Amino acid sequence: MTKMPGKFTRIAIANRGEVAVRIIKACEELGIETVLLHSEADINSRAYRMATKTICIGPAATAESYLNIEANINGALAGGAQAIHPGFGFLSENADFAEAVSNAGLTFIGPSAEAIRSLGDKVHCKELAKKAGLPLVPGYQGENQQVANLITEAERIGYPVIVKAAAGGGGRGMKLIKSSAEAAELIESAQREAQSAFGSPKVFLEKYLDRAKHIEFQIFGDATGNVVHFFDRECSVQRRHQKIIEEATSPSLTEELRRRMGEAACAIATLGKYKGAGTVEFLLQDGEFYLLEVNTRLQVEHPVTEEVLGVDLVKMQILTAQGEYIHDPKMIRVPRGHSIECRIYAENPFLGGVPSTGLLGHVEWPEGPGRRYEYGFDSGDTITPYYDPMIAKVIVWDENRQRAIQKMIRVLKDSVVFGVHTNIPYLIEILSHKEFVMGTMTTRFIETYFADPIKEPELTEVEKKIAAAALAQARGTQHAGATASASASPWMTYWRGI
Amino acid sequence: MEVKVRINGVDHKAQAQLLAGNLWVHANGRTFTMDAGTGRKSRKKAGAGGSSDTVMSPMPGKVTKILVQAGAEVKAGQAVLVMEAMKMEYTLKCDIAGTVESISCAVGEQVALGKALVKIKPSAE
Repeated sequence: MTKMPGKFTRIAIANRGEVAVRIIKACEELGIETVLLHSEADINSRAYRMATKTICIGPAATAESYLNIEANINGALAGGAQAIHPGFGFLSENADFAEAVSNAGLTFIGPSAEAIRSLGDKVHCKELAKKAGLPLVPGYQGENQQVANLITEAERIGYPVIVKAAAGGGGRGMKLIKSSAEAAELIESAQREAQSAFGSPKVFLEKYLDRAKHIEFQIFGDATGNVVHFFDRECSVQRRHQKIIEEATSPSLTEELRRRMGEAACAIATLGKYKGAGTVEFLLQDGEFYLLEVNTRLQVEHPVTEEVLGVDLVKMQILTAQGEYIHDPKMIRVPRGHSIECRIYAENPFLGGVPSTGLLGHVEWPEGPGRRYEYGFDSGDTITPYYDPMIAKVIVWDENRQRAIQKMIRVLKDSVVFGVHTNIPYLIEILSHKEFVMGTMTTRFIETYFADPIKEPELTEVEKKIAAAALAQARGTQHAGATASASASPWMTYWRGI
Repeated sequence: MEVKVRINGVDHKAQAQLLAGNLWVHANGRTFTMDAGTGRKSRKKAGAGGSSDTVMSPMPGKVTKILVQAGAEVKAGQAVLVMEAMKMEYTLKCDIAGTVESISCAVGEQVALGKALVKIKPSAE
């Protein structure tokens, strides 16, 4: 056993955007200072302004900053931190990083390097699951990564086949191959994306289930190694294998399925000696479930679990790393009501979702009961093309699913983002779609109903008049700084300087 | 900036802002933007619909792979170039059949929105 690290006084954050903000907030509540390890491109961000201390660890390119193990560790040491929180994405599922953090005398806030290797590596995880007798999707997880060999294996499995990054997640390095004609091109593309996003070109193949639901279980291993699950989330609404809308709990599970899948999730996590927050992902088709993968980290969609259970997973992660968090056997957790999360992407929904970058103008996330916003950028910040397009998450809670959907639509309509286009109109159409409302959507929901860009509605007469009035008013008040660059605005500089 | 307008006896409240020559408006649950100079809806930049002899960058990003060579014959809808932005790859296809007349970008190059990348000479039919 390693010695208990004791209480942290300062935690380094090896991440950016809204998740860095989320971690800073948890640290603030625990009375812990923070060191944000950021790239040159992220000086204009909320996390940069909120962290106790900031250290620039490299240029915008992820390979030279957020994915650079040495730079992150040196930054954490220079910043006087005792622990590193990796957030999600970047190095969060990198066992070498977890190991290097420990070797540097720091605590990695997450599972052990060993647990990441056995569960986080999607190939090893499948071997472990096979031994445990858990149901798996047929596929190829071999070491031979030559494109010709992968094509042969794909033919054996039978198209459609999905190619995925072994070290990855979040849809990067993942492609659907429908026929042999496009196999070579898509496998090479997946390998390049995997290399760029996760630092390893390794991929594996899986039979594509064509009417499956994506259901996942939040698991948590406490400081003693006792693993429990915090119920399920459904994330079937995915585009290019990237989740867009997530909810807790799934509208598709019977109590029997929920019990069996929860047991399977805990079983695999216990085998991997899992500590901290993790997610076991399943595909559910025709009443049968298959283990997809284990994400050995905090998940983007963790807030929906927090909302229905009233827990704080990030604080629990930190307390577990301090050796303090232990599950109370008397505590019976029961999900209450329904929670939905929408990912706000900086993209143009009327042009098929091409990224939209630039200076953020006015931004408004209106408060109200059962609404929660996780965002990484304020008015005056720049959305750059270097990173993931997710700029914010909107989370709602209500007593049941129908009310939660209604609330989400209203909240999205109330939200204001100027300066970059967002997928808000797209999200509203999805939330209003009959199949989503019924809760019967599968992972093919988006390609079936939203394959083409949504249509941009023409401006109504009323909107034209509003715009004309706005233009007249804006021209009359231009000196107020509406068109001035953000950095030139004196009050903004003042607040930024603190 | 808050805007209040009375239209046909009904009061409307909106948020609006001028940013880099564009007017952004949020009213009645919808955000839209227009060119502040012309007062028209902002012109859609490259990448959207229509048959064109030029493949243009639909976003700011990096060129990661060029799939065709100058002089090569291409079919309509053929993939000609791969770009990366925000950690995702996007494959750009040409709208028309013909031969590749010129390629005006290089692998690894950071390109702006709307930049012409590959020009196709339509096949004579």
